[in-house]
Amino acid sequence: MNIELRVNEQDFRLVVEPDERLLDVLRERLGLIGTKEGCGEGECGACTILMDGKAVNSCLVLAAQAVGHELMTIEGVGDRLHPHPLQKSFVELGAVQCGFCTPGMILSAKALLDRNLQPSEEEIKEAMSGNLCRCTGYDKIVKAVQRAAEEVAR
Amino acid sequence: MKKRGIGLGCGWYGTGYGNGFPDVSSAFVEIHDDGSATVSTGAVDVGQGSSTVLAQIAAEELGLEPQDITVITGDTDTTPDSGTSAATRHTYNTGNAVLKAVREAKTRLLDYAAHEFSCTSAQGIELKEGGIGVIGDPSRRQPLADMVFQARLHGERFISAESSTARTTPVDRENGQGAPYWPYAFGAQVAEVEVDTETGLVQVLRIIAAHDVGRAINPTQVEGQIAGAVAQGVGYALMEEVELHEGVIKNPAFSSYLIPTALDVPNIQTIIVEEEEITGPYGAKGLGEPAMVPTLAAVINAVYDAVGVRITSLPATPEKILAALAEKERTFREGGMRQSIDS
Repeated sequence: MNIELRVNEQDFRLVVEPDERLLDVLRERLGLIGTKEGCGEGECGACTILMDGKAVNSCLVLAAQAVGHELMTIEGVGDRLHPHPLQKSFVELGAVQCGFCTPGMILSAKALLDRNLQPSEEEIKEAMSGNLCRCTGYDKIVKAVQRAAEEVAR
Repeated sequence: MKKRGIGLGCGWYGTGYGNGFPDVSSAFVEIHDDGSATVSTGAVDVGQGSSTVLAQIAAEELGLEPQDITVITGDTDTTPDSGTSAATRHTYNTGNAVLKAVREAKTRLLDYAAHEFSCTSAQGIELKEGGIGVIGDPSRRQPLADMVFQARLHGERFISAESSTARTTPVDRENGQGAPYWPYAFGAQVAEVEVDTETGLVQVLRIIAAHDVGRAINPTQVEGQIAGAVAQGVGYALMEEVELHEGVIKNPAFSSYLIPTALDVPNIQTIIVEEEEITGPYGAKGLGEPAMVPTLAAVINAVYDAVGVRITSLPATPEKILAALAEKERTFREGGMRQSIDS
């Protein structure tokens, strides 16, 4: 089927299968491999992207369902030269170890900060609780989100 | 009712493969004529930070910054084998191999420099802040890049290959003698928990973790390793269980095999203990696995302190805690009845 997707403020015309997952279209057709596949069943959060500003598991969304929505992947958040405050604080505080959960973590955190500039520690943990991490113990991730919140608020 | 308790756990852990199994790491090093250096080693960084630590070790020895070091890893075409990223061994074992290789290349560089500076021995030559020179004589000093470039024009290159082997022995089954691991890591943790006596649910509120790392080459990474291990330890103590039925795993999904999320992890305070390991690179030794060991005992001891029940099979699920509380209640009541009959 023919669809149009808007990803990171760019429009793409694509021919996809009706049962093709958004995750696969992003990674394999658009080459946006920053989005990771972990469990593939909506439990780990590695494939988190933003859909109209809300964090969703892209493994549970069909590409066709994303038509007409504004999508953002980690590639749209920032880059090496212009990192988002979240990306900066994750690097500076050592919140990245193996890095596999990191894109999803950043996007869940961004969804939080976009609607709440002064989240409490509990609110941060709640917002990140759909993203699993086996390396960091979440300690530095939570601290990095706190620091980024301070910077975004400034 | 919610009851709080605290518990202590202590652990020691043999790092490396151990038991006489050859634990070998290798590294190639080249000092380049732009004042940088390359370290090649099979050691794979899977997020624990070994590439960073190896760059720091090479930089320290050469008087450079870590960003001046290119670390090439895990390519069987180009890098020498350094064993697995396992057994808490890369900082110590591969770190030692890198240090040996860097020192080997450095020794030849210093010999060359001694000749260039008209010194009788290399002992008076130092590498510092990207430069090379005679100690105590600022007039005989130049950027490292210039010296290596000149050397290259004269056909001298500073390339080395070294390996390091941790020597262990199997334990003698007759008398228990031997040196099965080297080195050992030590740690102690205190846990504070809250146990809900209605539901049996345990929330770990706080962990204070003190670990002897020999020397913290990268303190941020040490904290990260400890926090990661504590989270895994909390999962091990309270949540994680592979359920088998006739050899088939019954819970092969994150919805049925629960691991800690950000909401399950306690506030973690780390205490880095630096008791130099003289056989390690700059006194360092490994930390990865050992940091999880004390968490289990600390959490289970804290549960005992809170509600007076000893959980002896992991994980300490709400079901097990409720059953233990009911058993304790029953024993207490029967004890009381017996007492009243006796009197």
